[in-house]
Amino acid sequence: MTDHERWARDIEADLDGALTLAEQAALARHLAVCPTCAGTRASHLELRASLARASGHPHARVMPRQTLRGRTLALLAVLLALAGAAGGWLAHARWGGPGAGGLEASRATIDVR
Amino acid sequence: MRRSTSASLTLVCAVALAQGPATRLTYGVRVLLRNGADTSVVGTGEVTGPMETGLRLGVHTDSADVDMLLTTFPEPDSFTLAGDFVATRLMGPSRRGLPMYEQDEYRRQRHLAWTDTVRLHPFGSPRARGRRELWIELRVTTAAAGGITRPSEWLELADSSIDLTLEAVVRPRRATVLLALVRGEAGSIPLRLDLVPDGIPRTLDLVVDPAAPHHFEMRLTAPEPARTARARALALDADVVCLRLSEPGATTAAHVLCGRLNNVARRLPLAGGDTLVATFVWPAVR
Repeated sequence: MTDHERWARDIEADLDGALTLAEQAALARHLAVCPTCAGTRASHLELRASLARASGHPHARVMPRQTLRGRTLALLAVLLALAGAAGGWLAHARWGGPGAGGLEASRATIDVR
Repeated sequence: MRRSTSASLTLVCAVALAQGPATRLTYGVRVLLRNGADTSVVGTGEVTGPMETGLRLGVHTDSADVDMLLTTFPEPDSFTLAGDFVATRLMGPSRRGLPMYEQDEYRRQRHLAWTDTVRLHPFGSPRARGRRELWIELRVTTAAAGGITRPSEWLELADSSIDLTLEAVVRPRRATVLLALVRGEAGSIPLRLDLVPDGIPRTLDLVVDPAAPHHFEMRLTAPEPARTARARALALDADVVCLRLSEPGATTAAHVLCGRLNNVARRLPLAGGDTLVATFVWPAVR
């Protein structure tokens, strides 16, 4: 891992608020003398700002967490269930299966009239 | 009545029913087909023979073959109908599009009165919504018949689309063997022997060329046990007998000739250029 890559990882952690004060100070000192890493930090911030705007939070202070609404979740569950049922039906039509009654139902019976 | 006395009486009656050639067992068969709301008789048949006669039935469709051997175990006022079933069913296509089949062997039995009529559903329990359904009605009866031992069968199908077979299955108590020795155009005087399977060995002298007579010790035996489970379940070798020929005094057979009791001549080459021709048939009606 090169120095720039290591600093880029620290930049990412700093934007997530995961660096200690000493690490933040070291990063600040490096950014003051390294235009490449300063550019990287600016790119990361612009990317996060774009994502925040896209998710409907243009003024967010931190990266908004993706949330799944209840209605969306229900829709996904229904779609998955339908896809599973369709897949099962197609597989049964393609490769067959034990059938509705099972083995015993397909065996001969002796009944008294 | 004590249980042991009752059991003894049952056994005596069963043996008496099974032993005598005077009783004849008959399976009356009707094949019925329901197509929508209409039900029609599409076939009738009958298998009859001595008390130990079994009924071998086969029903074949595009998607399933069901073969069964039905046998009866008589008691004085009732009987047990037992069935050994061998089924081959289409499971569906394989990944490569080839048909896949499943094989199934099972046994069913039912205790019945002699007056009962049995409904046999070869493809399973009748389905309420099934449009086309085939089943077999079976009636088992006994009757006195003076000493007739040969089994017989007949089947008439009104619908040619139904593939159904029906056979009488009975292991012969006796068999008639027609023997002749052949060399080129010449032949010995044919012999007609009435033999009991696994009975006492008999001596056989056959001559075409007086200079080279053949002396054998001859036994009629049952065939070796069937190799496949299907053949065992359906008793496919029931009417097969084997003729074992050995040198007088020898313990092992030098020649073995097996065949069904179907009046087909079978040839056995012997040393010296002679051929033994043996034909196995059911014994004449007595």
